[in-house]
Amino acid sequence: MLNVHEVLKTFNRGTVNQKIALNKVSLELLPNDFVTVIGSNGAGKSTLLNAIAGNFMVDSGEISIEGMQITRLPAHKRADLISRVFQDPLSGTAASMTIEENLIMAFRRGKGRRLRRAIGTKERDLFRIELEKLSLGLENRLTNKVSLLSGGQRQALTLLMATLQKPKLLLLDEHTAALDPKTAEKVLELTCGVTEQQQLTTLMITHNLDHALTFGNRTIMMHEGRVILDIKGIERSNMTISRLLEMFEKASGSHMNTDRMILA
Amino acid sequence: MFTQIALGTMEQGLMYAIMVLGVYLTFRILDYADLSVDGSFTLGAATATSLIVGGTDPWIATGMAFIAGTLAGLFTGILHTKFKITPLLSGILTMTALYSINLRVMGRANISLLGSRTIFSDFAKLPFMEEYGVLVLSLGSVLLIGAVIYFFLQTELGLALRATGDNELMIRSLGVNTDLMKILGLGLSNGLVAFAGSYVAQKLEFADASMGIGMIIAGLASVIIGEVLVGTSSIGRAILAVICGAVLYRAIIAVVLQLGLEATDLKLITSFIVIIALVSPTLRKKIASWSAGISGKEAQ
Repeated sequence: MLNVHEVLKTFNRGTVNQKIALNKVSLELLPNDFVTVIGSNGAGKSTLLNAIAGNFMVDSGEISIEGMQITRLPAHKRADLISRVFQDPLSGTAASMTIEENLIMAFRRGKGRRLRRAIGTKERDLFRIELEKLSLGLENRLTNKVSLLSGGQRQALTLLMATLQKPKLLLLDEHTAALDPKTAEKVLELTCGVTEQQQLTTLMITHNLDHALTFGNRTIMMHEGRVILDIKGIERSNMTISRLLEMFEKASGSHMNTDRMILA
Repeated sequence: MFTQIALGTMEQGLMYAIMVLGVYLTFRILDYADLSVDGSFTLGAATATSLIVGGTDPWIATGMAFIAGTLAGLFTGILHTKFKITPLLSGILTMTALYSINLRVMGRANISLLGSRTIFSDFAKLPFMEEYGVLVLSLGSVLLIGAVIYFFLQTELGLALRATGDNELMIRSLGVNTDLMKILGLGLSNGLVAFAGSYVAQKLEFADASMGIGMIIAGLASVIIGEVLVGTSSIGRAILAVICGAVLYRAIIAVVLQLGLEATDLKLITSFIVIIALVSPTLRKKIASWSAGISGKEAQ
């Protein structure tokens, strides 16, 4: 499904700040895989997602989705394959535009933008049905500006926007980290619902080790731009948080930054 | 006397409103302070007048002014998006280059249209249009352009343009080429500015190489005045605000002139209007917290 092959990315090359963010990282995802990604700060998790989404061009290596080479495609040309939810609830929606305007933009993801009226009654009815599933009462607020919504509501809306047109790959970059615990649970619940229902292939970064083991079918751990642990099946279901930490320390030869990690 | 001034102000305000609609597209929709406006306003005037003097039909000349302005805007957009030059500098580069181009287009520093056919002299020949022809034509043009922009901003393409100014990262991740959107917006904006320039020149029957100086500030002042007084709760309202702001700005200028200030002082006054508008929100907050502090002390 997704194939990342020996991808190398160096930031600030040739300066004192040179940093190898992705060190020939390879990763293969099968269809319907829901992979959780953990690792300390600067391990390259977000960089990996950015590389897949096309926010920058990689130095070497190849990225393909369903056999299609996307290594050299700019971000906007990958949009029909990949959708994404960011950590910051503000970054996934356009604040000055209405809920329905945001939804129609997502509905046309990866398609051409035509010179015709964007929203009709047909789209509005569809949005109402989809928004009802969030059970946040947003279905009655279609013409409200998104700036009026709370962070949790905006993140739920972003998640809906990411899956309104079924993507081949869903990238979640700590998309619940900026929310309060109750809202975070709600958004996670919605995430599970939609990935199951649409059979999405998903890559989810999380700082919550409990979530990393309970959600999805596979967990990978990154360190210094590489995948240092990749577990699934029995091995994963027998895994505990303390053993995960232990394995990290063994594999990387250093202590995991437990302040940042949520061990709950 | 008064009605004469009021009529003149109204006519001018409506013509400038076309320009201000262009400024609104970049300044508010794209969140891009585009200084090429100073040059493209003159470019529109220069293109239209020199074509008219050369014997071209004034209606076609006015359309050509729009196209010339669009090209100037495309140039600014390409400088910014393809060569990564900052928005301010891209605009200044185009503006400066246009100064020379405008002199080339006109062949001299100014052109008089006295006695030539213009869109206004043509329009005045229609029945009942002798006295209010300029007003009717300007008003009709503004309303038509305003309506076109209103509907355009609600098309799929228009939404992509608005989102580019609001949240570029997000709309790019939804598959929109934001560079293209910026180039398109700048082209459209400068096209409208040049179109307005051709109207003003034909009304004044005169074009001058320096007539565009300070146009961007006048445009910003108009946008801000309109937004404060009319509001921006929806796209339709924001467009109406821009048109009202342009007319009101001209009215303020007319009043100031009547009070005895020189025409050469106008740029100073315009800058002050913009400064006051930009400063007032922070100032109001400061005054509010200051007065809250005083009443707090009194309560103790």
